[in-house]
Amino acid sequence: MSALLEVRDLHTHFFTRAGVVRAVEGVSFSLARGEILGLVGESGSGKSVTGFSLIGLVDPPGRIVSGSIRFDGQELVGLPQAAMRRLRGARIAMVFQDPAATLNPVLTIGQQMALAVRAHGRASEAAARDLAARTLTRVGIPDAAARLDAYPHEFSGGMRQRVAIATALLHGPELIVADEPTTALDVSIQAQILAEMKKLAKESGTALVWISHDLATVSSLADRVLVMYAGRIVESGGVSETLRAPRHPYTRGLLDSLPATARPGEKLNQIPGSTPSLLALPPGCPFAPRCPRADAACATDPPDVVTGGRLVRCHHPLAVAA
Amino acid sequence: MRPLSMPRYCVAMLGFIIQRLLQSLLVMLAMSALVFAGVYAIGNPIDVLISPDATQQIREDAIRHYGLDLPLWRQYLAFLGRLLAGDFGRSFVFDIPVLELVLARLPATLELALASVLIGAFIGIPLGIYAGYRPEAASSRAIMAVSVLGFSVPTFWVGLLLILTFAVNLDWLPAGDRGPVVEVFGVGWSFLTAEGLTFLILPALNLSLFKLAMMIRLARAGTREIMLTDTVKFARAAGLAEFTILRRHVLRLISIPLVTVFGLEFASTLAFAVVTETIFSWPGVGKLIIDSITSLDRPVMVAYLVLVAFLFVTINLVVDLSYALLDPRLRRGGRA
Repeated sequence: MSALLEVRDLHTHFFTRAGVVRAVEGVSFSLARGEILGLVGESGSGKSVTGFSLIGLVDPPGRIVSGSIRFDGQELVGLPQAAMRRLRGARIAMVFQDPAATLNPVLTIGQQMALAVRAHGRASEAAARDLAARTLTRVGIPDAAARLDAYPHEFSGGMRQRVAIATALLHGPELIVADEPTTALDVSIQAQILAEMKKLAKESGTALVWISHDLATVSSLADRVLVMYAGRIVESGGVSETLRAPRHPYTRGLLDSLPATARPGEKLNQIPGSTPSLLALPPGCPFAPRCPRADAACATDPPDVVTGGRLVRCHHPLAVAA
Repeated sequence: MRPLSMPRYCVAMLGFIIQRLLQSLLVMLAMSALVFAGVYAIGNPIDVLISPDATQQIREDAIRHYGLDLPLWRQYLAFLGRLLAGDFGRSFVFDIPVLELVLARLPATLELALASVLIGAFIGIPLGIYAGYRPEAASSRAIMAVSVLGFSVPTFWVGLLLILTFAVNLDWLPAGDRGPVVEVFGVGWSFLTAEGLTFLILPALNLSLFKLAMMIRLARAGTREIMLTDTVKFARAAGLAEFTILRRHVLRLISIPLVTVFGLEFASTLAFAVVTETIFSWPGVGKLIIDSITSLDRPVMVAYLVLVAFLFVTINLVVDLSYALLDPRLRRGGRA
């Protein structure tokens, strides 16, 4: 089966006054139809920029410098704006972090969804409303047809995110990029949305790139996980093996800092130091200054170690049977 | 925090409107007292009205005729009493009812002010949105340069230039005065005929320059801000065309400050289009008030300024009501 999405050596840089920020530096991965990929990392690791690169919405002064993104055989890097726009919302959709900020507060849900319907072909007022209402029902909004005339502030946070998800689903996209879509929600709502997304993706065969800093949500949702650090993928593999037995010291550190793994009363483990500035990254492994296993070898670029479908980019990976 | 249902919302709005109308009555009362006292301080209208070589008898008759022999507060109370009966008094100079005088001139100013504000909005808002959408483009910088000129170049100078260029040198448009009027509902409007429009164009353009500059600035600032929000990103992610995003999302989101300024500018142009009306000898209320100040025609001044206060309050009320139309979050009612 050929991959739906094939990213090769993607470089997305931001050309700021202070210098070039290499937000995404040589990211490669592929995604099969219907697969759910978790993209994990701290703030500033480049996971969101990777997501925005996929949908062609990197804001200036950022741009994709080199690399290739093939979507269903079509190269997206360098694709003209008009062609990219026809893909967006139709075949590749995106859901954002904060539904209170994404929905327009002065338009009704129905008006906004109708705009999204008509962005990809003519539709009568009635047809657009009908499609919107049916999609809202699919994401679990009761009495959807009547709710079309409501404004975003009349919905709860979780319901607003369902509206955003429904908007993304309108045209039955093959890929949805979800940028921390549950971060702004209550924990109980998070679980509902997660379950809903998983169900929708399986039902419709939609592939999902789920960007999150939260390992717990990723482990319950994704088939595979990519761990990013300082613009690079440091580890990837099936979600259960990777999170049960991580090979990169950074992944290990992320897992150890989860409250669930600590004993009650004990202090939480945290990774010492903070994410490096991407403006002046020293040569070698970017994680070395914070890594308990670092030595002289880490001053050179670490190799990609591939074993049994898992990848780790480290001079001193943890043993598989840890 | 649920919004009110439509009927309850209307009741809340009605209360709000009544409250605002009562406030406007107070504003007008204060305004009339201020003007009354102010004019009294400037000078005695009798000195202007009657030639210096008139006999003492004529002087005293005139003073008594206009009620100027009474103390100020009694004159004021008498004025208020007549006002309640709908009588603004008679002009000292023209000796006709003030209301008739002002209302005869008001349509001219009304159409001039409306034309200039509309020109400012319909040209300024698209230009401003464009300048905010592409702030780095050379064309956007040119638009901003025009807006700086609009703010800083004096109106009278632009007015004279317009006359010089389009009336004197090119001879395309009349240099001044108001064209033929068509009577609708008993008042004359000049914008209804092509010839009348030619008279309206130059003064309206002249007046609109400042408003144009203002609309450009506001629309640009708003657009720049909105373009960075997730609302725009989300719309783009849904595949909306850029023009649709600007027209449907951005324009709606920046409309509240635009409507506010539109209302204020409309009101202040109605009241104080004096310079332009003078240059283009446009027979509006601006000219009337200047004439009445020089001749100390107190009834006209008082009536005019009270009317201006009323216009300001009314236009602000309409602006406030339109907020609720533009932003559903403001329809919560309750305490208006």
